[in-house]
Amino acid sequence: MILLESNNYIIQTTLAEKLVKPSSLDVQFVDFDGVRFHLSTPERKTCLLLSMSIKCWDELVKYGVDNVLRREYGDRLQAAAEPEYNVSLELDLEKFPPAGEEREALVRSISLLKRNALAAPFELAFETQKQLAAGGSGQGDLLALHYRDEEAIYVQASSDRVTVIFSTVFREETDRIFGKVFLQEFVDARRLSTIQSAPQVLYTTRDPPLELRHLPNLAQSEDVGYVTFILFPRHFANPSVAESTISHIQNFRDYLHYHIKCSKAYMHSRMRHRVSEFQKVLNRAKTEVAVVDRKTVSGRSLVR
Amino acid sequence: MDVNFRKIDIDQYDEDVLLDSELYEADPRDPAQVLDDTKQKATAVRSSLSKGDIVGALTLVLADAPYGPNVEEAKNLNLQTLVTILNSTKATEIPGVVRGLSQDTQDTLMKYLYKGMGLPGWGDVSGSVLLGWHEKLTEVAGTGCIVRAMTDRRLV
Amino acid sequence: MSNVLRPYLAAVRSTLTAALTLQDFSSQIVERHNKPEVEVGGSKEVLLQPMTISRNENERVLIEASVNSIRLSIKIKQADEIERILCHKFTRFMMQRAESFIVLRRKPVKGYDISFLITNNHTDTMLKHKIVDFIIQFMEEVDKEISEMKLSLNARARVVAESYLQAFNS
Repeated sequence: MILLESNNYIIQTTLAEKLVKPSSLDVQFVDFDGVRFHLSTPERKTCLLLSMSIKCWDELVKYGVDNVLRREYGDRLQAAAEPEYNVSLELDLEKFPPAGEEREALVRSISLLKRNALAAPFELAFETQKQLAAGGSGQGDLLALHYRDEEAIYVQASSDRVTVIFSTVFREETDRIFGKVFLQEFVDARRLSTIQSAPQVLYTTRDPPLELRHLPNLAQSEDVGYVTFILFPRHFANPSVAESTISHIQNFRDYLHYHIKCSKAYMHSRMRHRVSEFQKVLNRAKTEVAVVDRKTVSGRSLVR
Repeated sequence: MDVNFRKIDIDQYDEDVLLDSELYEADPRDPAQVLDDTKQKATAVRSSLSKGDIVGALTLVLADAPYGPNVEEAKNLNLQTLVTILNSTKATEIPGVVRGLSQDTQDTLMKYLYKGMGLPGWGDVSGSVLLGWHEKLTEVAGTGCIVRAMTDRRLV
Repeated sequence: MSNVLRPYLAAVRSTLTAALTLQDFSSQIVERHNKPEVEVGGSKEVLLQPMTISRNENERVLIEASVNSIRLSIKIKQADEIERILCHKFTRFMMQRAESFIVLRRKPVKGYDISFLITNNHTDTMLKHKIVDFIIQFMEEVDKEISEMKLSLNARARVVAESYLQAFNS
């Protein structure tokens, strides 16, 4: 599995299961970036309540998350969210379409709750870009999304492009060095003819890129990396392309860190193998202690 | 209670304590003379080298090599002289040259090889040259030569 | 074995063989103690001349011999930041398992990446030439392993970057 999926597998499977055989349940689970979900049946077995808590909800509200969710989920979106959570969906299983493609599409759309919420700033930026392009010049506002404790996404629209900047923190030195190798490859990979049309990637460590210089409270240390993606209008030319671009770029930070962890795990298994090989070589040096089977008079082995 | 007495190095008052100077016989020559000798040898070595007599040059530079304290300058000079000889010898000639040396000379050469490799700054000493010589010398003189270089307290 | 590395490893092999002439030796300083003299360093008459074998500034071996023990420290080649971290991880991984690598020291000597301590007990219970073989094989393979790990990291990074960017095409 090289690419990460943007839907939540637990929501998808649980819903599919409950549609076949409704029963009461109350589960809490998590997703990337500290997002928490709560799936429960507060009133009856066929009516599920799905709530989500996300760290940057206040910022998302500013960027019009309500409109996006209203568009995706319609009446299922609850006016007031469950306490301790930011947003709730009421899923009445009896009102679901009959088994078939339509139902699967709905289940999948619900499992994309987190993705849809985080899509708000991107959609806003794409809209802004279209307006700016018509005007010919200018720059949109810098949309900041502090979706993790120390890390953030910044989205900014210009007349000819949308710039997406990720700030990411490498917690330890190995991660930092591995991260550098990976990011360098992201920059170099665009030279390949097959992916010429991919967004341009830039990265810096320590110093934030020009677009962010004016921001206060930016962490400046060796551990911080900034990755800039430049999306051109062709990446969001029509709704379906825009949709896949948003799903894909949201996952960038998790994708990068996931593969850094995978590399570390691989190195570890490699070292384990190599060390056991060395162990075998050293064991060859040990002299065999001859075990002589001593017999008693009656012919049995002597045991002390 | 005053505990400062614990910090006194009592070993220095021990009559039986072993001193560096007791581990080996000191060089009877005084440092200035050693330096003079070494300089003279360096000139002699250069004339031997120009004649192509590598065995002679090596024997000359390795005989009465400076050792012990207070003669750092002479030691460095002698090492430099030796290194010029090593560098100017062709790899194919090395076995023949090594075989032509006496056992004592071989031992001293081994000491110099390790000294050269142990130098932190390197300078004009090349690792591969020294390793090449080391390999050939070990082939001819055996591990005994290394043991003698290791156990000899007369540091070059 | 590559030709460049051969004289270096040959020199380590012969020096180590020469140094591995150990015997039981009780401490002269503390009654009824028997410790590796090279670690204690209390009596200088039983310590031998430390020997350095080096290919260049970044690759060298220090062999410190004494009457009943020798200490061999290796500085492994580290060309860049990645090799440095891989080397550090690998040596640390091994040293955490020092118990099963009888002759391995838990901490490297200052200025080196990994150290071995061989005592007369080890040469009594193990074959001397096989211990030497082990050290030589370790030196040979550790370089190879580190460069292979580096290559695989780069290859992985490339695949990861390409497949991520490729997805924008669809």
